[in-house]
Amino acid sequence: MENKNIILSVKDLVVKFKVRDRVLTAIRNVSLDFEEGKVVAIVGESGSGKSVFTKTFTGMLEVNGKVTNGEIWFEGENLMTYKTDKEWLNIRGKKIATVFQDPMTSLNPVRTIGYQISEVIMKHQNKSKEEAKKEAIELMSRVGIYNAEQRYDEYPFMYSGGMRQRIVIAIALACHPKILVCDEPTTALDVTIQAQIIRLIKELAEEYGFTTIYITHDLGVVANVADNVAVMYAGQIIEYGTVEDIFYDPRHPYTWGLLSSLPQLGEKGSELFAIRGTPPSLFEEIKGDAFAPRSDYSLAIDFEEEPPMFKVSDTHFAKTWLLDPRAPKVDKPKQIQNLHEKILALTSKGGIYGER
Amino acid sequence: MKNYIFSRVIKSIVAVMVVVSIVIVMLYTMIPRYKIFEKDEGYKKMSGDARTTYMYSRYEELGYLDFQQKSEMCSNASDNYEACMVNDSEELNAVISEYENNGYVVDYLRNGDPFVYHDYNPLQLIWNFYSKLIQIDHPGYVKDENNPDIERKYYIGESPNGMPAIMCSGCQYKYQLYFNSSFPFIHINAIHFNFGISYPTNEGMPTWQVVSQGQGSQVSTEQTFPSGVVEKSPLNQYTCQYKPILDTIDQRRFTDNYANCQSYYESPSMINTSYIFGIIALVIAYVVAIPSGIAMARNKGKIVDKAGIVVINFLIAVPSLALIFFVRQIGSIFNFPDRFPILGFEDIRSYIIPIIILALLQIPSLMTWTRRYMLDQSNADYAKFAKAKGLSQKEIFTKHILKNAIIPIINGIPSSIILCISGALLTESAFAIPGMGKMLPDAINASNNNMVINLTFIFTALSIFSILIGDLLMTVVDPRIQLAAKGGKKK
Repeated sequence: MENKNIILSVKDLVVKFKVRDRVLTAIRNVSLDFEEGKVVAIVGESGSGKSVFTKTFTGMLEVNGKVTNGEIWFEGENLMTYKTDKEWLNIRGKKIATVFQDPMTSLNPVRTIGYQISEVIMKHQNKSKEEAKKEAIELMSRVGIYNAEQRYDEYPFMYSGGMRQRIVIAIALACHPKILVCDEPTTALDVTIQAQIIRLIKELAEEYGFTTIYITHDLGVVANVADNVAVMYAGQIIEYGTVEDIFYDPRHPYTWGLLSSLPQLGEKGSELFAIRGTPPSLFEEIKGDAFAPRSDYSLAIDFEEEPPMFKVSDTHFAKTWLLDPRAPKVDKPKQIQNLHEKILALTSKGGIYGER
Repeated sequence: MKNYIFSRVIKSIVAVMVVVSIVIVMLYTMIPRYKIFEKDEGYKKMSGDARTTYMYSRYEELGYLDFQQKSEMCSNASDNYEACMVNDSEELNAVISEYENNGYVVDYLRNGDPFVYHDYNPLQLIWNFYSKLIQIDHPGYVKDENNPDIERKYYIGESPNGMPAIMCSGCQYKYQLYFNSSFPFIHINAIHFNFGISYPTNEGMPTWQVVSQGQGSQVSTEQTFPSGVVEKSPLNQYTCQYKPILDTIDQRRFTDNYANCQSYYESPSMINTSYIFGIIALVIAYVVAIPSGIAMARNKGKIVDKAGIVVINFLIAVPSLALIFFVRQIGSIFNFPDRFPILGFEDIRSYIIPIIILALLQIPSLMTWTRRYMLDQSNADYAKFAKAKGLSQKEIFTKHILKNAIIPIINGIPSSIILCISGALLTESAFAIPGMGKMLPDAINASNNNMVINLTFIFTALSIFSILIGDLLMTVVDPRIQLAAKGGKKK
């Protein structure tokens, strides 16, 4: 662990929201280290706390949300000691940038594209208007906008969805951030554009050397781009490992469920797999393993005590009692055995999985 | 764009015409017509045939019906005028039955003279109104038996202030187009709206002149007349019309027959009075409401916002009439007049309280909307992204949210300008301010039909065109909006 270059380190993070006089715990004691230059994907279903988790890095929680415990270390500083917006402005956008889900609404409709890019350059790099314009046009061409100079003065409504997402990425990269958080960057785009945008982010990450954090529930994207994967469930990271670890040697029953639900693995004639039940309410305190009520593999202890993070290998950790030496031996479900071969078989027919 | 504006203007004109037509039909067919005489003292003193003839000629003048007395009937319908003028003659009876067949009602005066009339149907009423509405001046206008050789031509001359002007001989107006220092600087006399004669109030004056002419006593200034005479006089030479018979003063001043001029008055006209109050109040309302609405949105849920909501709720909850009298009462404690005419136009104190009230009436809704638009926009995704970009809260508000939130507010400004005249109705009445707002209820009370139609026309035209202007303004501030004559077609 020591020899790795950790750029961002989260320790024991707890985030609570006040919703209609009730307290909701969105993030429950999450610790995670991000290695510099790597692509980390955070996967999980809606409401598992993926977005909230990454929002704490830039102090972008909604007003009713609060970090009640934990530390986030970045460049030798604990970001959680920041109180004012002013302190955050050094980090937000400048060192940690975010790309949001919906490019159609992420841009101000009544400001020109050029204005919205050069604004950031002027602000964070103290450049003059002309310099900023020059740099903005370069960035625009870099993210794949043709005739960037002419399109500089156009408005967002004159751009297509994919082009707008390119612009959003250009804005995010305008200050050469250390970390780029992509909050479901391709969900609102159609499949062909998705592949282009993902490839673009990947290329830019190599070129600019930033660390990428993907938030997604699209396992296809994960398989395609991620170095490491964190699986989140009910406000906790329940499994963490390299993409190979997660796809070919998953250990947590929830990860099994997720992988089994890949529609690509469905067999003709049989029903697609779905995880039964619903996630637990985060308003109440969760006892034991949060996934236990929905799991086919739950043990008695799962309902009693929360499992610790078990170490599977140097890179692979999972939070399930199944890894305890005393636990009975359980095989992962049949659908995801030999996942490697199945996926290879699928990708040989084409599709974005093959691009890796 | 041009096509769009053109089609919108056409639609607006049609809309105004429809509204005015409905008002005309309602006024003429649904309100008992004898009401117009309620304020007419002369009519009350009359009796017998004089009263009957007066009544029907009034009705005819005001456009209710076509009224013809014996002499008119005979000259219109008979070849033998002399024979026709004898009561009970064959000729006259033939004429009467001819009129009867044409749908006229026949009646007899006490002296035995017959007369006929027939009410106009709604279509005729509307046609009569619009066919006379626009009067275009032309060199053939003047028909004066004493002056048959009048030159008929347009020419470029010099107006009293030394500026060139397009002038006319033979027209109704001498100055067809001229420039001077009063708004809107270019003035045209060639085209006039004719909304009929005001009756029974301001009897005999064209209604347009009633609302647009200055009020109070006349103001004389030193001026040079065409003859070279320099005299103090209140006359406004630009408005001079043809006058068939000149008196000695006219002969001394003028070299031609254009001596029938309007005058300068010390106080502004009804339209201008309303506008003075309305515009000042409006500016105050915007200056107060928009910054406070923005401040409320920026401090949502905090003390500023809560205080603002209390103020808004108070102003909205109190009925406007109550608010008017309440503020007026407070004003009189501080020695402000509670009626406008007490101190009149010259004294600034006459204006303060009505303007405060007018502004107060508009502030709550403006504040609410500003706050709402700002909040809507600050929840938009682009605002969140702007935050993620690392912009400060202040930059997000001023550079991004404000520009979006201001769009609907700008769209509403022209309508507010219009509303400030028609909305001033209560305030003007409460303070007896001689403006247009007060004029409308006065005209309705006095059954001054032409005045009601005229004001309806003004208000409707202003509101419909203000919406058009609002939409055009919107294209300036919102790049997404491009006006197209047909839906969806760009440019």
